[in-house]
Amino acid sequence: MKDYPNPLILLVDDEEAITANLAPFLERSGFVVHIATNGEDALDKIHSMQPDLVVLDVLMPKVDGRQALRILRKENNWTPVILLTQVGESAERAMALEEGADDYLNKPFDPHELVARIRSVLRRSRQGQPPLSAAWRLTCGSLIIDRRARRASLEGVELFLTPKALQLLEYLMTHPDEMVSRERLLDVVWGWDYPVGTRAVDTRIAELRHTLGDDASNPRFIETIPGQGYRFSKDVSSLP
Amino acid sequence: MRMRRWFVILLPSMIGLALSLLFNLTDLKNPIIYLRADLGTLMFLSGLLISSALGLIIFINQRFRSMEETTAEGAAQDRRRFIQLLDHELKNPLTAILAGIANLSSSEGETRKGSSLDSIRTQVQRLSRLVSDLRKLSDLEIRPLEYSQVNLSEVLREIFELGRSSQTASDRQFNLLLPQAPWPLPEVHGDRDLLFLAFHNLMDNAIKYSQPGDAIELRAREDGNNLVIEVADTGVGIPEDEIELVWTELFRGKAARGVPGSGLGLSLARAIVKRHNGEISIRSRSGQGTVVTMQLPLGL
Repeated sequence: MKDYPNPLILLVDDEEAITANLAPFLERSGFVVHIATNGEDALDKIHSMQPDLVVLDVLMPKVDGRQALRILRKENNWTPVILLTQVGESAERAMALEEGADDYLNKPFDPHELVARIRSVLRRSRQGQPPLSAAWRLTCGSLIIDRRARRASLEGVELFLTPKALQLLEYLMTHPDEMVSRERLLDVVWGWDYPVGTRAVDTRIAELRHTLGDDASNPRFIETIPGQGYRFSKDVSSLP
Repeated sequence: MRMRRWFVILLPSMIGLALSLLFNLTDLKNPIIYLRADLGTLMFLSGLLISSALGLIIFINQRFRSMEETTAEGAAQDRRRFIQLLDHELKNPLTAILAGIANLSSSEGETRKGSSLDSIRTQVQRLSRLVSDLRKLSDLEIRPLEYSQVNLSEVLREIFELGRSSQTASDRQFNLLLPQAPWPLPEVHGDRDLLFLAFHNLMDNAIKYSQPGDAIELRAREDGNNLVIEVADTGVGIPEDEIELVWTELFRGKAARGVPGSGLGLSLARAIVKRHNGEISIRSRSGQGTVVTMQLPLGL
């Protein structure tokens, strides 16, 4: 059913005010948009339309977004999903990735940011295969991260990382070869705006680089994109 | 509290037990004492005993209940005040947005449209900031702290530099007082980012509620038990009738009209200090200035 020239997006939210405003915006950004109003409806439409990507709200009547995502992944359906999380609390965000979402966005968000997320997830998605964000263990060279055990090792030696540094590494490794802005990383670690936060992100990245023995001028893992953000090496793969 | 009550209740029986053991197990004389009373006196005494026991129980019960009632009433009052303030905080931006939309649908010129859109965007940003700050506050109460040994001198120096170079702080006299003798500030066990956030909020307030020419002082010392950090300014100060209210979430005093902010800065700072088992207090004189004092226990 991939005969659409433009990517087909299924937008799932029970708030009509949101779908009514977001759908035209996404259409103007070059997507074909269909709407579902709850998790059940979403699952039906995913099966019948096979969208290229699903934007899924978490809090919904009947089957909520999280349940729908779980059902979908259990069916071994790896349609890319961006979760719209409501509560922005750290636990909530961690859970979004653990349940096999490809990315998440906190409400309220800038619609431009959603479009940027959709584009990067589509670029990253590997046809019909689980996304890296659904894998528990990821590797890049001799670096291994075990997301469930909250551990990372380099050349077999366990790394000592603070929870925030680990969270950063996790996000970067699940988004390889992608420019991730400082603001985005800030949101990953905090979930809310933090004063001079972009500087706090730089400190964390420096800490991470130091632990990884990564040279900023000749990086193996984390590359600085001046004035924009950071990019992780493209050679990330999932481990069983 | 409850522990102490039990202690008081059990104390007499403990003493009794100790004395009984003393008389029974040592060589002390342990004479048998016979008590004799007529039935009438016995009846009277037992009645008296039961009455006093009952009286005590009822009294304690009532005290307990009235204590519960006052806390419940206090919570209800806090909640009412919070909703009132929230209502107020939402009303203004919403009114501005409605007006902006009305302008938008009636105006023809592109520039008019542009300025309406700008004003709507500003108001929406204001609402988003409010939501984000409220979320921050609730998150702060449960977020696990990321502990490390924090060098407070370093954090305070950073805050100081940040304040001094801030665009809105022109012509304020900044002072940073950190002890050097007999020793510098010891490190404190805490969440560096959160402590930074708390100091940042206080510094932000000091800048917001002062004018060019005012002095802002950031100082810290250690008194053997606590690290004491103070952020002081010679700004507008807080009137006496508002000082109790500054800890209320969303409360903004008269001086805050026209100053951007959500009325959550102090609440956030307090939540952070509480999470570190510390204390925070504020003193102010209207027209003279304000000082916020934080105490963080050493050796956590």
